[in-house]
Amino acid sequence: MADFATIIQIWFAALFTIWVYSIAFRDNVFFKFAEHTFVGAAAGHSLVMGVNNVQRSGWAPLMAGNYLYIIVFVLGILLYTRYHNEYFWMSRFPLSVLVGIGIGITMRTTVTAEFIAQIQSTAGMKVLGTDAWTAISNLIFIIITLAVVYYFVFTFPKMHGGGLGIISIIAKYGMMAAFGYSFANTVLSRFNMIFGRLDFIMSSWLPLPYAMIALPVALILLIYAMIPAARRPWPKTQN
Amino acid sequence: MGKESKTIWDRLEDIPREVLYAILIITFIMPMLFPIGFPVPISPEVQRWYDTIDKLPSGSVIMIDFGYSGGGEPELGPMAVAVYHHIFRKGGIRVIAMSTSNEGTLLFDKVIAELNPSQYGKQYGVDYIHIGYLAGTETAMAAVGKSIRTATATDYKGTPLDKYPVMQGVDEAKDFDLLICYTTGGDQSEGWVRQWYTSYQTPYLCCVIAMMVPTMLPYQKAGQIVSLTSGAQAGQMELLVKMPGRGIKSADVITLTHLLCIVFVVIGNVAYFGKKFSGGKK
Repeated sequence: MADFATIIQIWFAALFTIWVYSIAFRDNVFFKFAEHTFVGAAAGHSLVMGVNNVQRSGWAPLMAGNYLYIIVFVLGILLYTRYHNEYFWMSRFPLSVLVGIGIGITMRTTVTAEFIAQIQSTAGMKVLGTDAWTAISNLIFIIITLAVVYYFVFTFPKMHGGGLGIISIIAKYGMMAAFGYSFANTVLSRFNMIFGRLDFIMSSWLPLPYAMIALPVALILLIYAMIPAARRPWPKTQN
Repeated sequence: MGKESKTIWDRLEDIPREVLYAILIITFIMPMLFPIGFPVPISPEVQRWYDTIDKLPSGSVIMIDFGYSGGGEPELGPMAVAVYHHIFRKGGIRVIAMSTSNEGTLLFDKVIAELNPSQYGKQYGVDYIHIGYLAGTETAMAAVGKSIRTATATDYKGTPLDKYPVMQGVDEAKDFDLLICYTTGGDQSEGWVRQWYTSYQTPYLCCVIAMMVPTMLPYQKAGQIVSLTSGAQAGQMELLVKMPGRGIKSADVITLTHLLCIVFVVIGNVAYFGKKFSGGKK
């Protein structure tokens, strides 16, 4: 049997799951409550993790005698000057450092990882000397890659009309196929999430004492909350 | 348009969303109550993932990034559990985890609770560890690749890293034999390619939520990722490691709900074309 804190946690998690998914049917007060609570909890959690991170990665090394970290703290504090009408310009210094470091770290490998490796991979695809299915698959890949690059690089209207229009059509169909694949995967992800929550409700919450009574009560309250206020038998609203 | 003038095509096009969701929920619940047991074939990607870990020599060190948020837990959590089962059962491998997502430490605890490492005789700090959430995503990856101890001196519990035997002789990317990332964000999955694979050629296994697979496939095709899987394939991994869990339970549900989705798409198209050919508006 789980301890009391875990039981409370499971009850909250289950009820909030039901309340959040209720938006699929109609907006209601329970959904709003769950939504606002989630936003507050997420903000609180992020704040705690942020403070913890500053303590571990900034304050601890500083206290250990690494005084160069003072610069980091000064830059960090300067970020908050953006809320001051007179000194907001000072926040641009730490922002420049952040953007500069970010771009520097990313750019040093982007050319190799994003361009050279991808071009090599596409150029190295075999159309001859391989089995028929791989050859057809690779050929489609190469044609659509070239067509989509053409579609976005050559944007003059003349480049998409006349005989060249076929390239744009191939590019569009290629992209639509990719969007379809992407959309199908998105549905798969979302369904997995729903399954995860339903599985939690059925395996973790419903076996707990009183949960089987609480579920229909929660659903009845939800349905009642979904009825427009003017049509509810109780409480009567004043016009 | 008046109510009386509605054709069958109009009605099909305007099925209330409440009805569609109700049918969907019933389709979710029925196979959970009465499992069908659809076959779960092992895909080449999952097999390659399994083989990569299986071929690691004793004494190898793995870095795992818990880069996913709570929303991705139902999909990525079962995969993380199954992979830990495989690693711990194989034995002789040290696992150092970190998080580029601020919820990662909580999700690591959840995975460990579900896994119960003590069944394999594995101990925190001796065989596995979590060095905590490191902000900055790609900056954090680069920093950890250069020196873990410079990036953070303690684990997520606040204990100095040098007090743990698992951290002996491990400090930079070159000390790792494999990198695994579970993530719900493109910054993480692509960032590891740039910061670890490209810089240090660390073999990289990447598990993302299904909707991210299309954007990550080019990296696998280019050989930058050894194996790319989605959390939806967790059931396959559970079958390979012979530890059935949440992943395999979802197989029936996911299959049936997707069949329902196809039915919805067909109904929508039939209504559209039926209306078009019967002279109604598009």
